[in-house]
Amino acid sequence: GGGAGVWTPRSLSCSTSPGSTVVALVPPASPTPLLLAQLAGELGSFPGILNVISGPASLGPVLASQPAIQKVAFCGALEEGRVLRRSLAGKCVELGLALGMESLLLLTDTADVDSAVEGVVDAAWSDRGPGGLRLLIQESVWDEVMRRLQERMGRLRSGRGLDGAVDMGTRGAAACDLAQRFVHEAQSQGAQVFQAGDVPPERPFYPPTLVFNLPPASPCAQAEVPWPVVVASPFRTAKEALAVANGTPRGGSASVWSERLGQALELGYGLRMGTVWINAHGLRDPSVPTGGCKESGCSWHGGPDGLYEYLRPSGTPTQVSCLSKNMNYDTFGLTVPSTLPAGPEIGPSPAPPYGLFVGGRFQAPGARSSRPIQDSSGNLHGYVAEGGAKDIRGAVEAAHQAAPGWAGQSPGARAGLLWALAAALERRKSTLASRLERQGVELKAAEAEVELSARRLRAWGARAQAQGHTLQVSGLRGPVLRLREPLGVLAVVCPDEWPLLAFVSLLAPALACGNTVVMVPSAACPLLALEVCQDIATLFPAGLANVVTGDQDHLTRCLALHQDVQALWYFGSAQVLFVLFCHIQHLTLPTGSSFSGNSPALLEFLLLRGETP
Amino acid sequence: MSAHNRGTELDLSWISKIQVNQPAVLRRAEQIQARRTVKKEWQAAWLLKAVTFIDLTTLSGDDTPSNIQRLCYKAKYPIREDLLKALNMHDKDITTAAVCVYPARVCDAVKALKAAGCSIPVASVATGFPAGQTHLKTRLEEIRLAVEDGATEIDVVINRSLVLTGQWEGSDFIKTSTGKETVNATFPVAIVMLRAIRDFFWKTGNKVGFKPAGGIRSAKDSLAWLSLVKEELGDEWLKPELFRIGASTLLSDIERQVSNLYLWSKLTGVFEKGIEKPN
Repeated sequence: GGGAGVWTPRSLSCSTSPGSTVVALVPPASPTPLLLAQLAGELGSFPGILNVISGPASLGPVLASQPAIQKVAFCGALEEGRVLRRSLAGKCVELGLALGMESLLLLTDTADVDSAVEGVVDAAWSDRGPGGLRLLIQESVWDEVMRRLQERMGRLRSGRGLDGAVDMGTRGAAACDLAQRFVHEAQSQGAQVFQAGDVPPERPFYPPTLVFNLPPASPCAQAEVPWPVVVASPFRTAKEALAVANGTPRGGSASVWSERLGQALELGYGLRMGTVWINAHGLRDPSVPTGGCKESGCSWHGGPDGLYEYLRPSGTPTQVSCLSKNMNYDTFGLTVPSTLPAGPEIGPSPAPPYGLFVGGRFQAPGARSSRPIQDSSGNLHGYVAEGGAKDIRGAVEAAHQAAPGWAGQSPGARAGLLWALAAALERRKSTLASRLERQGVELKAAEAEVELSARRLRAWGARAQAQGHTLQVSGLRGPVLRLREPLGVLAVVCPDEWPLLAFVSLLAPALACGNTVVMVPSAACPLLALEVCQDIATLFPAGLANVVTGDQDHLTRCLALHQDVQALWYFGSAQVLFVLFCHIQHLTLPTGSSFSGNSPALLEFLLLRGETP
Repeated sequence: MSAHNRGTELDLSWISKIQVNQPAVLRRAEQIQARRTVKKEWQAAWLLKAVTFIDLTTLSGDDTPSNIQRLCYKAKYPIREDLLKALNMHDKDITTAAVCVYPARVCDAVKALKAAGCSIPVASVATGFPAGQTHLKTRLEEIRLAVEDGATEIDVVINRSLVLTGQWEGSDFIKTSTGKETVNATFPVAIVMLRAIRDFFWKTGNKVGFKPAGGIRSAKDSLAWLSLVKEELGDEWLKPELFRIGASTLLSDIERQVSNLYLWSKLTGVFEKGIEKPN
């Protein structure tokens, strides 16, 4: 299908190989993509495979909103990424973001300092590194590192890029101005600045710069460091290093320098970054995927993951745009529509209202009210809690408390719990089937649904065993370890249909991969989900799975705007989806396709993160 | 020769704190060789400078006074006179840094150099070269005799058994190896040695020299070595007092390359006015 994007030449090749055609928007300062397009044009047989437009970044949203564009990949600054994200709301266009160019270098006292200094040069003061560098140096080697750094800076040469004897060239007047502004800011906030090297004094050339003694509380310490600046800060222990390193919204790439294996790995695992190099910086290989996390984006380049960004499973239905002009996005889901009291109960004895299932037990909702659930003949089936924003916050908090323990469980333990739940469901088949019958499902079909739910749990349990870290051998000197880590807390809004099967089919993969969940079950019949919760209460650790019932739109809004939910799976109306897109301005996770009412077997997911509007 | 290394107290804790990251050093070695290429008239200048660092060496079993004499003559006139004239370098006193011979041949070397009117030093290998596995008494006697015969520099083979048991000695120069091993002067090893020299200088103020030897045969190699020393230690160390290259066939390859550069320049008209003296 068609593609578009703002790309670097490296990623251009990734996108054309699986059979897409490409339109690339590149900044006017870089002629290389145009050369590449010219070469591609000379191939002759397929004109129009690669098209390049040279223009400002403001054209990005214009390009992305053209019809027939199916995927947009964006590399650039955070703000522009946000603007693009907002402009693509509801348009069924896949978006991949690679934001920011800063990287991090963590230098411990057991590092080979000379080699680490060369790493700093590679990262920030050469033409190989994309952006600036945050340098964290262990206090005990601070003086030594500073001295070597400054001495090394003195030997750097800057000049025209094609001169073989220079270390770094220039990136244009804009980059020069950006660096200048940053350095002045830093100085005004009390930092010291050291500049050296053999650099031409004219404007687009900026000397290699080292900024240190910047107060940690100053705004510059949180801002992205531009090329060719290095901001150095000290740390005392490994724990402090991780806190400082993970303390910015960015999570692109980092390197750890230590000759002690244990320490290097501990720091490597602890860093919240897309790519971590150990005792090296900036090593790249086309078969090794690179990407970021947090604010640094959500797409992968290179390797099989990079390839999958441009592919879709065969048989995926084409998507329909879900733009709606009648929706008021500011008021969507803001208040809960009032419900009339239910009619008299028919049946044996009034069942007590279900509470919310949060933190491993049933509890009353904050609003202290319930909503009636009707069966297929219109009679009262039961009462469920009316959950609200406060309950959502409580559920997310409970899920976060359970998350580290669950993520730390071995895949075998996770599989065991899922299998235990499957067995419990089978034991309660008759109860569950009769509930389904009351909702109008035939007995045979109801029993089949229960069996299928148990099978799904077992299947995902088996997958929990099989997944994990993989070791990749590439052209680089040394192995590449690819870690699959749980996202954290997932919020899931289930579809109306298949109240039992959908619930289980969405719960199982999230848990199998080490996440904890907050689920909003089927609005039509949440009772099935609450029945399953009775088994969950006895089998699972508290907070692993939390279920909140109530007005679906209101709860969806609460979840979408919650700051601490790592992902949201929404199965519902397409129009609501559009609203979610509009609300969410800060987007760092990949967007899959949106759809409504599809069978849960498809399981394409939509990952969003909320932010203060 | 530089002032003698006054030495310091042996501080083993300093050595145990040293960390070397081998893959990073290998990458740096590749980088220096690949990126810092010198061309045209600058290359000719660098090659002539490289000549002034050579310890012209002959260490074979069949060394006789006649080939020593030829060696010494070559040390005095390393590059053809007409070529030097064409480059306008004939009056710049370009000779090799020293000649390096076996102890028994020191006398012949001194005599030959005197006859040629050349004041460059004679260096002798000593102390049971190349294995170093002879008695301490004979090794000391070897040095004494070589110095008596007129050698002013001695390439000492350290007692490796002492090294492996942690008993260290000091020196004015460090040399990568005897040149008689299977693997001799490689860039990664050199990088580590040069960084150690720099650390020692920062800590004590003493400058120790560096000499790679063995396997340096082509002009291109010699340029890479000069580049390496310049990158890691700076121009201060690019002097015969602190940097030597132990080589024998290197000189002829440098001469060949300089001649090629000159012929090329004649074709293209570059540097007809000659080149400035390399400093």
